[in-house]
Amino acid sequence: MSLFGTNAGFGTGGTGVFGNATTDSHNPMKDVEVTSPPDDSISCLAFSPPTMPGNFLIGGSWANDVRCWEVQDNGQTVPKAQQMHTGPVLDACWSDDGSKVFTASCDKTAKMWDLNSNQAMQIAQHDGPIKAIHWIKAPNYSCIMTGSWDKTLKFWDTRSPNPMMSLQMPERCYCADVVYPMAVVATAERGLIVYQLENQPSEFRRIDSPLKHQHRCVAIFKDKQNKPTGFALGSIEGRVAIHYINPPNPAKDNFTFKCHRSNGTNTTTPQDIYAVNAISFHPVHGTLATVGSDGRFSFWDKDARTKLKTSEQLDQPITACCFNHNGNIFAYASSYDWSKGHEYYNPQKKNYIFLRNAAEELKPRNKK
Amino acid sequence: MGRKKKKQMKPWCWYCNRDFDDEKILIQHQKAKHFKCHICHKKLYTGPGLAIHCMQVHKETIDGVPNAIPGRTDIELEIYGMEGIPEKDMEERRRVLEQKNQETQKKKQNQDDSDEYDDEDEPGPSFQQPAAGQPQAGYIPSMSQPGMPPGSGAPGIPPGSYSGHSPYRMIPMGGMLPPGPGMPPMMAGVPPGMPPPVAHRPGITHMAQVPPAANMLTRPAVPAATVPSAQPDVTKPLFPIAGQSQQTVSGSPHPPPSTSSDPSKPTFPAYTQATVAVVSPNSGSSTVSKPPSTVTSKPATLTTSSATSKLIHPDEDISLEELRAQLPRYQRSVPRQAQSTATAPSMGPVGGMISPQQPGMRHPLPGQYGGPPQGMPGYMPGGMPPYGQAPPVVPPGFQGAPPRPPMGMRPPVMSPGGRY
Repeated sequence: MSLFGTNAGFGTGGTGVFGNATTDSHNPMKDVEVTSPPDDSISCLAFSPPTMPGNFLIGGSWANDVRCWEVQDNGQTVPKAQQMHTGPVLDACWSDDGSKVFTASCDKTAKMWDLNSNQAMQIAQHDGPIKAIHWIKAPNYSCIMTGSWDKTLKFWDTRSPNPMMSLQMPERCYCADVVYPMAVVATAERGLIVYQLENQPSEFRRIDSPLKHQHRCVAIFKDKQNKPTGFALGSIEGRVAIHYINPPNPAKDNFTFKCHRSNGTNTTTPQDIYAVNAISFHPVHGTLATVGSDGRFSFWDKDARTKLKTSEQLDQPITACCFNHNGNIFAYASSYDWSKGHEYYNPQKKNYIFLRNAAEELKPRNKK
Repeated sequence: MGRKKKKQMKPWCWYCNRDFDDEKILIQHQKAKHFKCHICHKKLYTGPGLAIHCMQVHKETIDGVPNAIPGRTDIELEIYGMEGIPEKDMEERRRVLEQKNQETQKKKQNQDDSDEYDDEDEPGPSFQQPAAGQPQAGYIPSMSQPGMPPGSGAPGIPPGSYSGHSPYRMIPMGGMLPPGPGMPPMMAGVPPGMPPPVAHRPGITHMAQVPPAANMLTRPAVPAATVPSAQPDVTKPLFPIAGQSQQTVSGSPHPPPSTSSDPSKPTFPAYTQATVAVVSPNSGSSTVSKPPSTVTSKPATLTTSSATSKLIHPDEDISLEELRAQLPRYQRSVPRQAQSTATAPSMGPVGGMISPQQPGMRHPLPGQYGGPPQGMPGYMPGGMPPYGQAPPVVPPGFQGAPPRPPMGMRPPVMSPGGRY
C-alpha cells in the first residue's frame, strides 16, 4: 500500500467522524469520512466503473496529487496509491475496464496511471492547463479527450505523442462530460458545444447558453433507453439548466432552476448566490445531485422538477461529487473553492471527502 | 382575455415584470411571490393587505414588496392582477413590448440554418428588419433623413429607402431577407459616403451619381433569389471606391465609415460573415450575455434584479480555477514540462521530482497558459534518458517507446523501479 505520507490516520478505517465528537460543522451530515484526504482542495472525484469488482475512488487535488482509495462494503476506506503531477490536478477519469486512471493537470499534461503497476506516463500535452479529461470508448476506437484552457479539445490515442485529432474551441474549456456518442463542452464566455463521437469526434452543434452567467459544470443525462439525450449545466449564479438536445417542445422541456442560494426571502437581506461546483447524475435513478460553494449538496428530480433533499451546510464549499457505478454511494468533497478569493484560503484547513449512502435518497419522486 | 380595452397585451406582473398567459396565473403568482407573509407564509391579496397583516398579526412593519424589482416595491399601491397598475407604467410596458416585437420580427426574418449565425445576424439585419416588417410608411421618415449618421443610420437608410419606395419593393425585400446576411450588407454598403438613395424609382435616374445604390435597388428588385449570389457581383462593381474598401476590408473586420460596432457590421457584406464567425463566441450570447462578456471583469457585480442579491464569486470574469492557478504557489512546478513528466509519475520509488534541470527552467508563467511549450510532447516513458531528450523538439515516437513495451506503453510489463 502506499504512502499518503503527510496525513495521519492511515489505517484507522475512517468510519464515522475522525474523533471530532462536537457538532463540528465540517461534517454536519455525519457521513463517512474518507481517510487520508488530500492536503489541498479536491478538484475532482471519480468512482471505478462496474467492470471492476468493488469500489475504488480517485480524487485529484490542488496539492498536485491524485489518490486512490478502496471503499469497502462496510464503509471503510483504505488508501491505496497516489501519483503526482507537477501542477494541481484538475480532473481525472477511469478507463472503461477500470485498469487505468487518467489525470489532467495545470502542468499542461495528462497522464495515464496504470493501477496494477502503479506507473504513470504522460499521454497528452497542451499549451495550457488541462481542465477536463474523459475516456471515450467507441465501437471502432478508444481514446482520451482533453479540454484545455488553450481553447483546444484534443483526442489522444494513448500510444502516440501526437493527438489523433485537435478541435478548436471558441474559448477556454471550463468543463465537459462524455456519454458515448455524445460529448458536451462548456467554455468561457458562456460557450456551449455539443460533439458527436460516432466514427470520429466532430462538432455537432453550438448552443446558445440557457444560462446568463459563467459556466461551471456540466453533466450529461440519459433517457429511458439509456441514450444520452441532454445535459445539466451549472453556472456561478446558483442555477442549473436542464437542456435537451432534441426535445419535442424546447420551450417546455428545457428549464432552469435556482439552487445553492441563501434564504433571501426576507425583503431586506440580500440573497447570497453561490456557484454550482459540480453536478452528477445517479446512474440508476436519473436524478441528479448538485454541490455548491455554499457548502451544501442537493438532490433533484429533473422529471418531476422537484427538489428531493438539501443537506445541512458544511463549513467549507463542496468542490466535487460523484456516484459510484450502482448509485449506492455518493461521494462529495469539502474544500475551499476560491469563491471568496484568496483571502479566505487557509492552507491549514483540513479537506474532506465524505461518502453517503445514496440508495434511498435519490429515488425519483412520482410525478403528480 | 375577454376585455378588449384593459389589456391588449398579455397579463404581466407590475412588481417583477414577468409575463403570464392568464390573469389568474398572474394573481396566483402575485399572491405567492409578492403578497406572501415572510413570517407565517400567509398569502394575502394585495400589497397594503400584506402590510396590514404583518402589522396587526406580527407587529412588524415591512418596507417593500417582497421579490419586487427596484422601483416597483411600493407597498402602498393597491395592485391586484392587472388592476391598479399606474397608467404611465402601462404605457412604458407597451412601448417596451413594441420594441421587443420589432426585434423578434427582425430575428425571425433572419433565421439562418446554422445556429452560430443567429445572433450575429441580429445586428446586421436588424436595421432592415423593420424595413421589411413594417409598413412602408414607417420607413418614409427614415428615408427622409439623409443626414443620418452612417453608423446606425446607414444600415437603416438603405433598407428603408427601398421599402419606402414603393409597395412592391417590400416584397423583394422580404424575399431577400432569408438570404439575410447577404442582403443587409449590400444595402448597408450604399450609404457610406453616398447620399441616401432616397426618393423612388425616379430617384434611380439620378442614382447615376450613386450608381451603387441604383444597382442595389434594381438588383434586389429583380430576382430576390439571386440576391445572395448577386452580392459579390453587386458589391464589387457597385462601389468602385467603397467597393475597393470593401474588398480590402473583406479580409479585415473593420468597418470604414461607421463607428459603432454592431450596426457597422452590415455595411461590409463581403466580410460580415467573416466577422460573424470571428465574433460569434461573444455575440453568440449577444443580448443576454452582453453584460457578462463585455463587463469582463465583473461577474460578481451582476446583481439579480429581484431583491438585492450577491454573487459569491470574485470579481474577475474568469473561472475560480484560473484565478487560483495564477498564484505563485501553484505555479512552482509548471514550467518544467519535459523533465517533470519523467520524474513525477513514479511517486513511489523516485519520491518526488528529481529535477536536474528544473531550477533553470523556472520561467514563471504568469498566466496559466500561453506558453513556452512549443508542443513538446515530452513523452518520457522511460525515466532516465528522457531528461536529456526533453528539450529537443518532438522526440520522434517519444523516445523510449521502442525499448519499452511497444504496445501502447503498457506499463504493467515494465519493471516498476522508478521508471518514469
